Amino acid sequence: MVDPIVVAIVVIYLLATVLIGYYSRVRLKSAMDYYVAGRRIGSVVNGLALESTYLSPASMLGLPAFIFLLGYPFWWAMVAIICGMPLATLLTAVALRKYAPVSYADYYADRYGDERLRWWIGIVLILGTILYITISLVGMALFMVAILKIPYLLALTIGTVITMFYVVYGGMIATSWNAAMQALVMSFSAMIAAAAIVWQLGGLEGVYYAAHASYPRIWNTPADFPEIPHVFTGAWIAIICWYFVWHLGFATMPYTVVRFFTVMDLKSARRSIFWCALIAGAFYVSLQIIGITAKYMIEKHHPIAVAAGGNMTAMAVLTQIQKTYGIGTIVDYSMIAAVEALGNPVILGILCAGGLAIAMSTAAGWAVVINTVIARDWMVKLLKWKKAEERPIFYGRLIAFIFLFVSFLVSIAPPALVLDLSGWAFIVIICSIGPGLILGLWWKRATRTAMWFTAIFMFILSMIAWMRAYFILGHHARFFLNDILFANPNALITPHQVWVIPVGFIVFVIVSLLTKPVEEERVQKYCVELTKEV
Amino acid sequence: MPWPPKVFWVGLIIMYGSAVLGWTLEAVAKMNKIAPLPILYTSIYSTFLLPVIIATLYFFFPERAEAKRAREAAAREAKKAEEVKKEG
Repeated sequence: MVDPIVVAIVVIYLLATVLIGYYSRVRLKSAMDYYVAGRRIGSVVNGLALESTYLSPASMLGLPAFIFLLGYPFWWAMVAIICGMPLATLLTAVALRKYAPVSYADYYADRYGDERLRWWIGIVLILGTILYITISLVGMALFMVAILKIPYLLALTIGTVITMFYVVYGGMIATSWNAAMQALVMSFSAMIAAAAIVWQLGGLEGVYYAAHASYPRIWNTPADFPEIPHVFTGAWIAIICWYFVWHLGFATMPYTVVRFFTVMDLKSARRSIFWCALIAGAFYVSLQIIGITAKYMIEKHHPIAVAAGGNMTAMAVLTQIQKTYGIGTIVDYSMIAAVEALGNPVILGILCAGGLAIAMSTAAGWAVVINTVIARDWMVKLLKWKKAEERPIFYGRLIAFIFLFVSFLVSIAPPALVLDLSGWAFIVIICSIGPGLILGLWWKRATRTAMWFTAIFMFILSMIAWMRAYFILGHHARFFLNDILFANPNALITPHQVWVIPVGFIVFVIVSLLTKPVEEERVQKYCVELTKEV
Repeated sequence: MPWPPKVFWVGLIIMYGSAVLGWTLEAVAKMNKIAPLPILYTSIYSTFLLPVIIATLYFFFPERAEAKRAREAAAREAKKAEEVKKEG
């Protein structure tokens, strides 16, 4: 039986989302409003929106699960994710706001003087959109199934319909305001749960000793070899690779980069990252606390473990939960189970609302990126389709609807591969189109051929490497040639084949040096005017 | 060649320096074994305070430079206007 307080909190959150979506339509007057919120978003709203859009259910469910499995060293990966946020300020955010494009692909087409780049950027984004919206919808449903105890399909439908309503109806304006509200809900939900855990365990020392009691190796690092918490965090090279795997995403990922197009001025672009780092840092500290104590909390206080007389391991409890609901992996439930162990319906209700918030904002963020690229870039700029030019908002809405609907269909029975692939989608965007974005601004010698070559070559290379690690070596965290080079599948740990990021930059530089630079006026505009005094 | 401002590199050194220092102290002094130190330096300092400090540096210094440029431009304009007035 679900506590009515839990249901009431979730209903209030869903109503607030619908209301913000509904009232946003009043401000929606032109295609520019639909695509970039009329460039009227302030720094606080944009900062909050950046946080909730960038951080997906992979953060809220996945990172505590990673800590649960890999121990304390994984905290360093989370440090790098938040530290990567300020990097975007001077690297891409201000320069791109000065340029003020409408779509993510505008920059590439204009900087490299090739409209056809819009096709390839669009293809990469279609892939990212479907994978990310799918993982968001599944994460959203998982929260509702595990906390509200409703059937998976019903949960999926509720989440998709509400997201569809406000994205399709209100475009970037509704997405921005809802994402800001969602950032507060999701961050507060994790903070209140972490605070309750710290309180219950008697302070930070209590947290340390409780985690240690549940797994004596949990605080160990590679320096304690062979007493390491996990083979994936057992060597310093693994720690360095975990540190960098998601580090540059904030500066290059389309769903964050487009948020810099929506702010009112350069000052707001810079300051929005401050607000984002502030709230995201607090959110991540909370996830670290929940993740490190999850094993202890589940084994000592979860109702299933208590009913079994306190003799169940956390894994056994999670296995039982996963068998009951049948979706996701066993450790996906570690965060929810740790909070359930607190036995507080208010905290559980807020957590469920937070889970829905983080998932909806990411799904919506991708939907607004893709509707601009397809409805404006492909239909109007490349195909010169008159109807799309005359009715831009209608076609933007149609595209957002189609992508949310397709992702909904994929989410009904999501193969494990699809959910894992979102990690690859993240890396492929950074390694294939990230070098062209950053070096296109900061290196005069960046060439059109290098952009094309890196975008296609790194897409294929990262896909082959990731697939080989996943299917042949059993996990994306293993370097894809471990068996051939070292005859040991665990010789090198390179999560999501993170090495492709520096390789992408090196390939871009080499090809640029060997090929003809773009026209001088483009170089002047991008590498001098836009980067001057950022 | 365009080059990010000095404050960008300062932030980068602080960020990566903190991580390397943390790993070194963990390897050499086993700092991670002292309760509740890892919660203080990895979680509260490195995950929360450090990014906020760097984000602050990254808007504070560029904004200060912008304000200085604006003041200098205004002073130049005023001087020019004064010269025109004198000539007139």
